[in-house]
Amino acid sequence: MKRTHRKRKEKWFLWICRGATLLAVAVLLTLLFHVIREGFAWLDLQFLDSFPSRKPERAGIKSALWGSVWVIGLTALISIPLSIASAIYLEEYAPKNKWMRSVEINLANLAAMPSILYGLLGLAIFVRFFDLDRSLWSGALTLSLLVLPVIVIAAKGAIRSVPQSIREGAYALGARRWQVVFYQVLPSAIPGIMTGIILALSRAMGETAPLIMVGALSYIAFLPEGPSDPFTALPVQIFNWAARPQADFHGLAAGGIIVLLCLLLTLNAGAVFIREKLQRYK
Amino acid sequence: MDKQISLETKNVSISYGDKQVIRQVSLKVSSHQVTAVIGPSGCGKSTLLRTFNRMNDFIPSFSMEGEIIFQGKNIYEPSSDPGVIRQKIGMVFQRPNPFPKSIFKNIVWGPKINGYSGDLQALAEDALKRAALWEEVKDRLNDSALKLSGGQQQRLCIARAIAMNPEVILMDEPCSALDPSATARIEDLIKELRTNYTIVIVTHNMQQAARISDQTAFLYEGDLVEYGVTKKIFTQPDKKRTEDYITGRFG
Repeated sequence: MKRTHRKRKEKWFLWICRGATLLAVAVLLTLLFHVIREGFAWLDLQFLDSFPSRKPERAGIKSALWGSVWVIGLTALISIPLSIASAIYLEEYAPKNKWMRSVEINLANLAAMPSILYGLLGLAIFVRFFDLDRSLWSGALTLSLLVLPVIVIAAKGAIRSVPQSIREGAYALGARRWQVVFYQVLPSAIPGIMTGIILALSRAMGETAPLIMVGALSYIAFLPEGPSDPFTALPVQIFNWAARPQADFHGLAAGGIIVLLCLLLTLNAGAVFIREKLQRYK
Repeated sequence: MDKQISLETKNVSISYGDKQVIRQVSLKVSSHQVTAVIGPSGCGKSTLLRTFNRMNDFIPSFSMEGEIIFQGKNIYEPSSDPGVIRQKIGMVFQRPNPFPKSIFKNIVWGPKINGYSGDLQALAEDALKRAALWEEVKDRLNDSALKLSGGQQQRLCIARAIAMNPEVILMDEPCSALDPSATARIEDLIKELRTNYTIVIVTHNMQQAARISDQTAFLYEGDLVEYGVTKKIFTQPDKKRTEDYITGRFG
């Protein structure tokens, strides 16, 4: 009798887990279906290649799309080297004392901070204090602050998971610390670091609040020519359209969401491809 | 004994924090000989071995008194450079630890970062031949080293150490993670390597020490109990404790 009881428990447990998964997938699919149904009709070359307009049939996401590419590209250029270097310092060089432990705890706190606060910080520091105005620089630097702790934490984990025996083997051959880190630890840690970068940049790509805070405008009828130009980004444009009362603009917003999703998928696929390439010797 | 001395410890005591793990050990390692360090687990044999190429430097609580003389100089002098010492005193670890790279890169990485400018191909071939691995891997030098078996990986690690052309090779229980046949191959190899290198090997396996070493040091709870010619240690030890250990009464 006890056996059947335990079997029943097993079954229940399985169904709870399965149900939770199904629920999540169902919600996601509903959203996706809804967005595609509403936005698909608006997707054409004209939509991709037009600037925003007051007339829905002439409006497009050219400036938002290129603004997003610019701002994420700049964010990657700023945040990736900085965060990998910090992670190397924290894992391989920094003394393990109270001060460093508090740095680590605060990193975790920073990663969990609401993004609007980064927007306020960016507004105060980059836009006002450094007088960068509403430029791509302000947006990219603010997003870099946002993703920095996330990438640092992921990179730290990846570096820590490189077996100590690899380091010892390298040191035993007379290697200097930088050689051990650069030639042995980093190559082994790259796949893990890449995963962190993908997650962090994907998050940055969808961020709206901090960009609105530092002044990404939704009506930009030209493409940025350099990092000092004003810009808009996909989520800002989508937010703007979705907030309007006319149904046509909701369709445009849905179209924008589809483009954003495609961009995210491309970014992730590219990163996964690079990661697999680098993982040849496993 | 008028053999040349390669390494010498003078009154070496080692502590981790407050805990002393090696007490006043003085011993001379003859060059071109296999010197085995035996003793029960936790007696400090690995700790002692790792002081010979300063691998204990990475442990923050490590502290040492005494001197270790190599090529006429104390390697723990403030002016001595652990990087340079490790080029001359190589090490093979308990578990095979090849780099996650190709077989070829595993061999040539050490020489390359230390400024070797000769023919890397020839260097790799020579090192692999000396480590008795060449025949098995010559057609797949660009394959991942991680695809090799455990015993092959350990011989690769030995080849990696040989490629640096060291004077001394330290081995920290190099067979403890291997099966008997792989162990036998490594033991044969160690006996051959003696002609060109000085070998210091730590082992928990007394039969192994008896089979391959010329000199044996018996460590017990941080003290060097007895040190001498292997044959004598295993047949007529001077100390009661050595006899008890090698006859299996404890340990």
